[in-house]
Amino acid sequence: MARRFGPYGGAYVPETLVPALVELESAWNFARRDPKFRSELRRLSETLGGRPTPLYFARNFTRRGRGAKVWLKREDLVHGGAHKFNNALGQGLLAARMGKPRLIAETGAGQHGVATAMIGAALGLETTIYMGEVDTIRQKPNVERMQLLGATVVPVRSGSRTLKDAINAALRDWIANVRTTHYLLGSAVGPHPFPSMVAEFQSVIGREIRDQSRRAFGRLPDLVVACVGGGSNAIGTFRPFLHSSVELLGVEAGGRRGSHGAASLTRGRPGILHGSYSYVLQDREGQVAETESVSAGLDYAGVGPEHAFLKDSGRVRYVSVSDSGAVRAFHWLAEDEGILPALEPAHALYAALREAKGRPAQENIVVTLSGRGDKDLEVVLGASR
Amino acid sequence: MRLADALRAARAAGRPIVVPYVMVDRSRARSLGRTVEALREGGANALELGFPFSDPIADGPVLEAAASRALRNRTGWRDLLAALRVTSELLPTAVMTYANPVWQEGLGPGLAELSRAGASGLIVPDLSLEESPAFRTESQRAGLSLVLLAAPGSGAARVQEIARASRGFLYVVSRYGTTGAATGRHASIDLRTIVRTAHDAAPSLPVLVGFGVRDRPSAARALASGADGVIVGTALEEMIRRKASPARITRWLRSIASAPRGRSESRAS
Repeated sequence: MARRFGPYGGAYVPETLVPALVELESAWNFARRDPKFRSELRRLSETLGGRPTPLYFARNFTRRGRGAKVWLKREDLVHGGAHKFNNALGQGLLAARMGKPRLIAETGAGQHGVATAMIGAALGLETTIYMGEVDTIRQKPNVERMQLLGATVVPVRSGSRTLKDAINAALRDWIANVRTTHYLLGSAVGPHPFPSMVAEFQSVIGREIRDQSRRAFGRLPDLVVACVGGGSNAIGTFRPFLHSSVELLGVEAGGRRGSHGAASLTRGRPGILHGSYSYVLQDREGQVAETESVSAGLDYAGVGPEHAFLKDSGRVRYVSVSDSGAVRAFHWLAEDEGILPALEPAHALYAALREAKGRPAQENIVVTLSGRGDKDLEVVLGASR
Repeated sequence: MRLADALRAARAAGRPIVVPYVMVDRSRARSLGRTVEALREGGANALELGFPFSDPIADGPVLEAAASRALRNRTGWRDLLAALRVTSELLPTAVMTYANPVWQEGLGPGLAELSRAGASGLIVPDLSLEESPAFRTESQRAGLSLVLLAAPGSGAARVQEIARASRGFLYVVSRYGTTGAATGRHASIDLRTIVRTAHDAAPSLPVLVGFGVRDRPSAARALASGADGVIVGTALEEMIRRKASPARITRWLRSIASAPRGRSESRAS
């Protein structure tokens, strides 16, 4: 398994965590080749998670663009309402295998926290979720869902009180309780082996898009679009296409106009954060910047190391979309298709529509709709007022 | 004197080594010299000079808050260099900071700059052995001892490897948890095995225990492992925050520096 993607990745962690990472890597290496693990993962993905998710032709949304056809990969229909389930299930099964009775996780929008709480309940594991205090307010419905699912939610009051600080708090808990606890990291970030492992659990998205595209329109898509915060739905979407000629577009959160938002790849530079070397939004002296995005799930100063590599190599193009663009795309999809997208993939929808406008009608664009928008109603209604 | 020589000499003298930790904070620049003098008076053998980082994952609430405050006070790299010029005149000084701030200065030039300002050691709590080669090469080139950390779960083979690669001293993390914070679910571990393994692997390298050492009793417990000394950070930060007088700091450190040590006094466990 790759420890680095080009120069990016690695495991910059306190020594206390190294044995746990080694244990995790070897458990994962064994499990991924074990037919029993794979069939259990597949069975629960289908019967509990609702996979495979459909690929939907967004006819009305396409009309709005008057160009290429836009298809939606409906990860919003996965159990829990987001792609986060794919990774939470995989790591949850792995934790159970390693005999760890306790799960901890960070969450931004709350989607990963909900997915982890669901898996914790289903597998009988004690679950604690760290969430920035700012996010517990703007994503309150998800806090209530996690609590109903039996998880303990700990509001994090340090730093910018968002996702980055929730990760710090989860890492500190892990350092203290590493022998009994698995840290179910929710994105393709952090120290090795998390970026590789999470990408592999999420690659089911891209594999399904590949097969469904062939069935739906007889070939691979011309362009595939996904939003990038830490980048797990995007890397899962992109990976099966990396060695094809399909164009790939990652969309970061640009925040308010004139701010750096949370666009690590397009506005940051390489640095070391949360255990890996990747692009980071930071000041001149390496202090990590506080980010600002309308979508809690993209509100992160770092990004997965594989994306950093794919940016430098030019294989994936990365752009950013502002808060207002995302909110507009939210309304478009709601009105055109009767689907409320989460604000995170709303960034991708906005960029996809921009792309569609300049392309002929016979081209096909697939957008990963990574989550549903029920959690964002208050934010969207507030922004529209 | 340089860090490595000072600690070797102190070890040879048979007294417990004491290394206090102080964070650079622009708003405390004027009192830094007095604080370090008080620490020297109290028996400090060297100083760990902390440079704040925005995301200090190995630190507990007290040092995390100190880092946030220091950054809010606009503490920057040049404050670190200025502080080094002061402290290294008083005590051999090792800089302790996370990987990113050093990396962003450009590893080679950054470490050379620290060295020129008076640093003789470097401690990076989020630098695992696996990621350390570049830091080791550049530290050596700059004349800095790169201190590595061993932890409770490291295992014998790994402790040996870390001890052999570490320079200046070996930093043994006493327990599962962050600096100063309440212990995790598994409070006590026997440090003796780690310390003995390190001593066997690198006989001339002093072994210091940190995390959770805050007074004479906790220092005595740490020293009972056979360690050559202790590192104290959080308790000192709390005293400085409460504006403890230099005399008080001296008395406190002296009580730690005179803590009983030695294998023979190991408590039963």
